[in-house]
Amino acid sequence: MAVSKCTRLTGPLIKQLLDSVDNVLFDCDGVIWRGDQAIPGAVGVINLLRKNGKRVFFVTNNSSKTRKMYAEKMSLLGFDAKEEEVFGTAYCLAMYLKTIIKLEGKVYLIGNNAMKQELENVGIQQTGSGPDLIFGTPSDWANVPLDPEVKAVVVGFDWDFSYMKLNRAMQYLSNPDIVFVGTNTDTRLPLEGGKAIPGTGCIVKSVETAAQRQAQTVGKPSRFMFHCVASQFGLDGARCLMVGDRLDTDILLGSNCGLKTLLTLTGVSTLADAEAHQKSGAPERLGMVPDYYVESIADLLPALQG
Amino acid sequence: MALVGGRGCSKIRGSQIRELLDSKHNVLFDCDGVIWNGETVVTGAPEVVTLLKQQGKKVFFVTNNCTRPRANYVTKFARLGFTDVGEEEIFSSAYCSAAYLRDVAKVQGKVYVIGCQGVVKELMEAGVPIVDEEAEGAQTGTIYDYPLDPDVKAVLVGYDEKFNFIKLAKACCYLQNPECLFLATDPDPWHPLRGGRITPGSGSLTAAVETASSRVATVIGKPSRFMFECIASQFEGLDPGRSLMVGDRLETDILFGAKCGMDTMLTLTGVSTMEEARGYMDSHDPDSGDFVPDYVVESIADFIEAYEEKEEREEEQG
Repeated sequence: MAVSKCTRLTGPLIKQLLDSVDNVLFDCDGVIWRGDQAIPGAVGVINLLRKNGKRVFFVTNNSSKTRKMYAEKMSLLGFDAKEEEVFGTAYCLAMYLKTIIKLEGKVYLIGNNAMKQELENVGIQQTGSGPDLIFGTPSDWANVPLDPEVKAVVVGFDWDFSYMKLNRAMQYLSNPDIVFVGTNTDTRLPLEGGKAIPGTGCIVKSVETAAQRQAQTVGKPSRFMFHCVASQFGLDGARCLMVGDRLDTDILLGSNCGLKTLLTLTGVSTLADAEAHQKSGAPERLGMVPDYYVESIADLLPALQG
Repeated sequence: MALVGGRGCSKIRGSQIRELLDSKHNVLFDCDGVIWNGETVVTGAPEVVTLLKQQGKKVFFVTNNCTRPRANYVTKFARLGFTDVGEEEIFSSAYCSAAYLRDVAKVQGKVYVIGCQGVVKELMEAGVPIVDEEAEGAQTGTIYDYPLDPDVKAVLVGYDEKFNFIKLAKACCYLQNPECLFLATDPDPWHPLRGGRITPGSGSLTAAVETASSRVATVIGKPSRFMFECIASQFEGLDPGRSLMVGDRLETDILFGAKCGMDTMLTLTGVSTMEEARGYMDSHDPDSGDFVPDYVVESIADFIEAYEEKEEREEEQG
């Protein structure tokens, strides 16, 4: 379609773009909602896309909700969404372990209840979730008993992250046969009410440093997030549009998978960020330049209503 | 036999060691893996220290281990058979971090510390005000309602077995202010214990705070130069050209020595191996030269043999 990039999406271009795709994938935070508030117009956009025969999916790096919890939140905010349309990293990581790693054994989990549930849903047992306080001497920590059935260390968002958890993960990971997977590397997690706190990326980095190993990552911009949706719904990347607010996760995922990409300015990244990547000419930055941008996804309404 | 100089990974013993030591005024030792392993002394280490002092050398101990205050180190030295090591000769990353905050950064305000008692005590000894966590009952708060101290002017991250998410979040909040200093005691990703076991190190905690704050910490411990500058500020005329750094970790001790302009010696009683040292030597990476030790010994106990040989020769000649 467009040869030039980072184009303002207005007027007839909107309809042109929408006609060229069958499926629209939305990031959540900063795109359709901020915390517990829907972005004005977002509900209308999604409903109208469906009315226009498009399939709609939600792809988020946030690991602290199950698909069911996401569907409930969406319902509360007025979005009409089914569980099957939502792809959070708790669900995707469980699918990754089941279908790609084909894990046989348990997981040592630094994570949360949603991850625990999604793992259980695919029949994978975990150990380690919940508080884990320090006790004993350094020698005790270095010699913590390791469950021989653990075949993977998994890291997601965890309020209870502690030195002891870091220690256990490190001890397991000294065995090179044990798989190391993180949900995502976002450094900050947006909270209800607009605050932000350290994100899963900090926890992953901490474990990577202690263990001197790199985690595989499931979340955007890793292709698996798209693969997970595409394989379940038979999507053709060329007929998909990725809508997001972060250049280094949403837009990069879209570029990596051959999707069309639309940046919305209601979240993290700015137009200046996008233009800087474009001007740099550096090959590794070009994937972060969106095809189009809008101030807000509400900008799509006129074309959808018309 | 002429001494082979330059970063050549030369295994030396006997008269070669003696010749090297005769040319040096100061010997700096790392501790873990060099003079002891956990609670087990490296055989001959106490005798080596005494011997060097008898030869008129200044001896310093430079350790990234921040789990004890200096007074505790003095007790440990005594417990393991060292008879003549004074507090003033011991430089830990905790002590040097406190000295840096007080004397170099001259912090006017409080420090938010993520650190064990070893770190906290050194700050208190140095008279550096810290945020009193217990007084605020801060650990019982949740992420939404913990108080931030408006007097915080620096964040220090060190080894902390009580590290948790709330501490990480607080540090991150303080570091949103670009005027707030960001220090780390040391970069070690893991610490060795006896028997090849390890525990997570300060470096793994600093990595979390750096990622959360999108800022890079100023690291006090080896391989950064600050610890050498701390020693030099207290011992005038400390000439790196006349100093030898003895350590067991290429990425901390040897790199530290190289950066400070000292000759370096790897001892094989700790973490790094001869193969690893040769690996850096054979590498095409232009930066890898600084990781290559000038000299290698099996153990610092080899120093004893060097002086015994000299004595024997003198007896024969005399």
